[in-house]
Amino acid sequence: MTITIHRQTSESGRTGFSRRRFLLSTAMIGVTTGGMLRIAGASGAAALDAGQSATLLRMVQDIYPHPDLLELSHYEAIVEIVAAKAAGDAANAAALTDGLARIEAQARALHGTGYTGIADPDAREGLLRHFQHEGFFQGVRWTAYFAIYDNKALWPRFGYGGSSVEHGGYIDRGFSDITFVPAGPTLEQRLAEVGG
Amino acid sequence: MTRFDLSDDGVVVIVGSGAGGGTLANELAQKGIRSVVLEAGKRFDLGDIENDEWAMFSKTSWLDKRYSTGGWHGAVNHPNLPAWIVKGYGGSTIHWAGVALRLREHEFRTRSHYGAIPGANNEDWPVTLAEMIPWYEKAERKMGVTGRTTGMPHLPWNNGFRVLAEGCRRTGRTDYNSGPMAINSVERDDRPACQQIGFCMQGCAIGAKWSTMYTELPRAEATGNCEVRTEAMALRIEHDRAGRVTGVVYADAEGVQHRQKARAVAVAGNSIESPRLLLNSASAMFPDGLANSSGQVGRNYLTHTTAGCYAVLPEKVHMYRGTSVAGVVGDEVNHDAGRGFAGGYYLEFLSLGLPFMAAFLEPGNTGWGRSVAGAMEQYDRMSGVWICGEDMAQEKNGITLHPEEKDQHGLPVPLVAKTPHNNDHAMTAHAFEATAEIYEAVGATDVYELPAYPASHNMGTNRMHADPAKGVVNAFGQAHDVANLFVSDGSQFTSSGACNPTLTIVALAIRQAEHIAREMAAGSI
Ligand SMILES: Cc1cc2nc3c(=O)[nH]c(=O)nc-3n(C[C@H](O)[C@H](O)[C@H](O)COP(=O)(O)OP(=O)(O)OC[C@H]3O[C@@H](n4cnc5c(N)ncnc54)[C@H](O)[C@@H]3O)c2cc1C
Ligand code: SF4
Repeated sequence: MTITIHRQTSESGRTGFSRRRFLLSTAMIGVTTGGMLRIAGASGAAALDAGQSATLLRMVQDIYPHPDLLELSHYEAIVEIVAAKAAGDAANAAALTDGLARIEAQARALHGTGYTGIADPDAREGLLRHFQHEGFFQGVRWTAYFAIYDNKALWPRFGYGGSSVEHGGYIDRGFSDITFVPAGPTLEQRLAEVGG
Repeated sequence: MTRFDLSDDGVVVIVGSGAGGGTLANELAQKGIRSVVLEAGKRFDLGDIENDEWAMFSKTSWLDKRYSTGGWHGAVNHPNLPAWIVKGYGGSTIHWAGVALRLREHEFRTRSHYGAIPGANNEDWPVTLAEMIPWYEKAERKMGVTGRTTGMPHLPWNNGFRVLAEGCRRTGRTDYNSGPMAINSVERDDRPACQQIGFCMQGCAIGAKWSTMYTELPRAEATGNCEVRTEAMALRIEHDRAGRVTGVVYADAEGVQHRQKARAVAVAGNSIESPRLLLNSASAMFPDGLANSSGQVGRNYLTHTTAGCYAVLPEKVHMYRGTSVAGVVGDEVNHDAGRGFAGGYYLEFLSLGLPFMAAFLEPGNTGWGRSVAGAMEQYDRMSGVWICGEDMAQEKNGITLHPEEKDQHGLPVPLVAKTPHNNDHAMTAHAFEATAEIYEAVGATDVYELPAYPASHNMGTNRMHADPAKGVVNAFGQAHDVANLFVSDGSQFTSSGACNPTLTIVALAIRQAEHIAREMAAGSI
């Protein structure tokens, strides 16, 4: 498997690649559509201690880093959902705490510091890549996916409008409002085209 | 609502209520021919449609166990979702996007035009474009396709398509437009005009887009000649000693099995379930599966050569506003051997919502991290296409039955094998280059190449052929081996063509209904 990690100038800076091709996973996957279920509201006792929670918090920020778009509280909410799921499922909790422990151990072995102590975001991502085909990792990853990209409250931050039927569609709400390219044909032109 | 008796052997039993089955049911009903439609999924109506990608995916998708196999990336990244197909009243016409293109002449005759291609099983259809034109016109009028046949103007251009179109203009392309689409641009046929809601692929909440859910099926039922039984999963087709089919055994919502007698059976469960049903109907007389003396049932599985390609523009685009597939580029659809591959392709503007973009930008375990998150922050400046090109038929691609594993009905789980032909790779590479060139002409800063999605177009697994040794059905979709058995969906396609399949499925179903009526009148079935 080959993985390309694009070096970026800063935590939020994105260098421009005019042509970027994402490479595919070639390893067997543990996550199916059945795993892509929506996460209900989090609740329940913490299954993680403070150190584990801190590692997990840094980890979800590194899985989908949006330092300029999202707030810490959004990532904390993801940690809570993951912890709540673990609290209700002993096998899940064991896999998660074991995984977090191995991330910590790897961080100490490679960088001489705990995971949260690694300053370079690329180094943290590189470390996580090592665990990406494991069930605990993909569980955290898909939880984060749904909590960020399938979260209606966050959509406006990404410039996504979502559901429109209740507003009568986008027909009067900017479906054709950009100005940097020419307008499309008028109704008369479109009618003429079909001989109408 | 009409109910037919299980022992009524005068009805045509149609398996599946989508584009093929729904159309056939209504065409037969209008001619006074009685039918029972068995639909595995639930009854849906407009009230079930939500503008929410995952909610609709969970509500309507076919999620019975399937395995994705073969050499395509989905065998790894979508191991149980080889295809994205609807299970429900209306089938995949609930969430189809509405692109309604005709196959071209060369696409009906791929053997004659392309010659023998190593590793491929490309053959000519037993029907030509010239024969199909009147049926295409009937289909276009039925579905309300924008363009000359109906006189309905193509849809207004939305932001995302305007960017694509301008790139086409600047790169000297000439064949790009916001149609033909089976979406009302004006009120027509008791359905409203498109309100640019978006979410066409989650179902059109107002019914501007054609779907059998609110056209063919209720109209068929209203005649009293058609009964649609939902949550009725066809398990096997039975036959008599003469080798004529006599009925279909199905399971209801409680899993209770019933036997519906039939004068004829039409299979329209889409190209995974239709061959699976024939294979599961093997008997002493038909040991390799019903109607399978050619050995072609389940083979030559076609999905189109596809990929996604999204460009990031210097300004906001908000591509999600308005029709999901808002326009089509046809400049590359011709066959030109000089490009290094046979057949051609369309570029179809396609907006994805934020959730689907984040899931499909880089599918699989690796789709996270700074490059994915960074790309998602450019979401509101994206425009992109779905590449849809001719797929080379290969015998090894197809539907087989799992040797041990059974589904909830006790039927062997289908294995869905897909390995792209080298022709497909060459075409995809060409299409990525063309798309990048178009978008770079309007200032794109990044161009993302996405691998194929789970197949939305499924074809070829019960192919038509003039020669009974080389195909399952004849030019009317009638099984070569069994005169009163029909295939009425995209599985009868001999080749995929470059275009989306549904208009052709509907045109063939209208034509097949005429054929069935004629055969019945003649007493031959
Ligand atoms: C997202 C998306 C977008 C698309 N956009 C376009 C487009 O723009 N243009 C285009 O031409 N095509 C498009 N398509 C493809 C189009 O939806 C299909 O080609 C078409 O619906 C296929 O018709 P069909 O009759 O073969 O099957 P379907 O419409 O899939 O119907 C099959 C039905 O049979 C039922 N069934 C299956 N097996 C059984 C059984 N054993 N017993 C009882 N019932 C059974 C299923 O539940 C289903 O309801 C799109 C598809 C998708 C997924
Ligand atoms: S964009 Fe038009 S066709 Fe598509 S869902 Fe909305 S109203 Fe229906």
